[in-house]
Amino acid sequence: MDLFEGEIIDREAARRHYVLDDTGFDEVPKKYRKFYRQWRGAGDSLAPNEVLCPVCRVVIRSSRELRVGDRVYCMPCMSRLVIVRNAATGTLEARAEH
Amino acid sequence: MADVLSAYSIQSWLESCPQGYLEHTEYGHAPGEREPELLFDNPVLHAETIRTTVQLVLGERCALAASSGLINAAPEEASKRFLATQTLDEARHVEIFTHRLYDLGVKREHLESTIQHYANPNLVKFAEVLLEKVDRKDFIAGVVGQNIVLEGMAFSVFEMMHALEADLNPKFAHTLSGTIADERRHVGFGENRIGALIRQHPEKKAAIERMQKEMSYYMLATFADAFRHNAAAAEYKRLEQASVIDEHHARWQGVDLAEMEPEAMEQVLANTVLKEFKIRLGRIGIDYQTPLRP
Repeated sequence: MDLFEGEIIDREAARRHYVLDDTGFDEVPKKYRKFYRQWRGAGDSLAPNEVLCPVCRVVIRSSRELRVGDRVYCMPCMSRLVIVRNAATGTLEARAEH
Repeated sequence: MADVLSAYSIQSWLESCPQGYLEHTEYGHAPGEREPELLFDNPVLHAETIRTTVQLVLGERCALAASSGLINAAPEEASKRFLATQTLDEARHVEIFTHRLYDLGVKREHLESTIQHYANPNLVKFAEVLLEKVDRKDFIAGVVGQNIVLEGMAFSVFEMMHALEADLNPKFAHTLSGTIADERRHVGFGENRIGALIRQHPEKKAAIERMQKEMSYYMLATFADAFRHNAAAAEYKRLEQASVIDEHHARWQGVDLAEMEPEAMEQVLANTVLKEFKIRLGRIGIDYQTPLRP
């Protein structure tokens, strides 16, 4: 679970941007609520701007598409996370930085 | 480190918790919500619901004693403030689960005798292992025991109970939702704050690993008692077959809990919690110790 060898983090390449709406998540102060949503379990899926917090299992939402090396913050559990690619599945996921 | 600690703010807790998911609630649920009539009409379900709720009260009393006891053992101000908010969270949990016992018909003058009657001795031993560390002002072991082992267990137990209750008992499911939100902060604190301290004090690892193994054993023994001697699942099945209640489903961890035998549910819960322990402890540099199986 790490960067693929030779993977290039191109921060300049165009990323898709997303308008975040309120999903009813109310576990953080109001102005930050749009950045999170509840994980609905099996059957739920993550958009390219979303990642699951491995510490508290809340979905973190970014206003832009996430890429390897991005850092995100999970306010519900106060964890700092970095986006990595799971070598086994090829999908992006968040790793806690303790 | 300063950045991590700055998140432990009372203001942030106020805006997230009392002004967030607890706004407009009373004792953790929407005003006016009631326990289902079925729980009062059916003596088997009534007794089992009281038994389960007593274990929640006991677990939360332990968490209250641990989080309050750790405040003065914390090495810096920000952790003391976080533990002060956690202390209030745990006191609230004690109150809402105690209030549920009253809602279920337990008389206030019979509260302590009811708790004594139904208390699971293995859960009491689980608490004693943790509180011995807290009494010694061992901050690192206390936080691992409280915020990773106890809270990690509570996180999964509450999630499983929420899946089971979502359709059957919206009042209790709402109560559980608020406690799950609280647990997110508590497990986050355990992982985020303790990882660095373990690196600074590697000599503490062995004792912490022994504590985790011992607490895990008593946790599994509590689960075994709770599931193997629980008549509620069979009673719900009987009521479904007699068309007294609608067939219900409760999906969690990829299985339908409502379709499972109690022993199979015990295995799902135990395996989920132990797997979570292993992952969480690994992230802070502690080697998970496989406990004996009761």
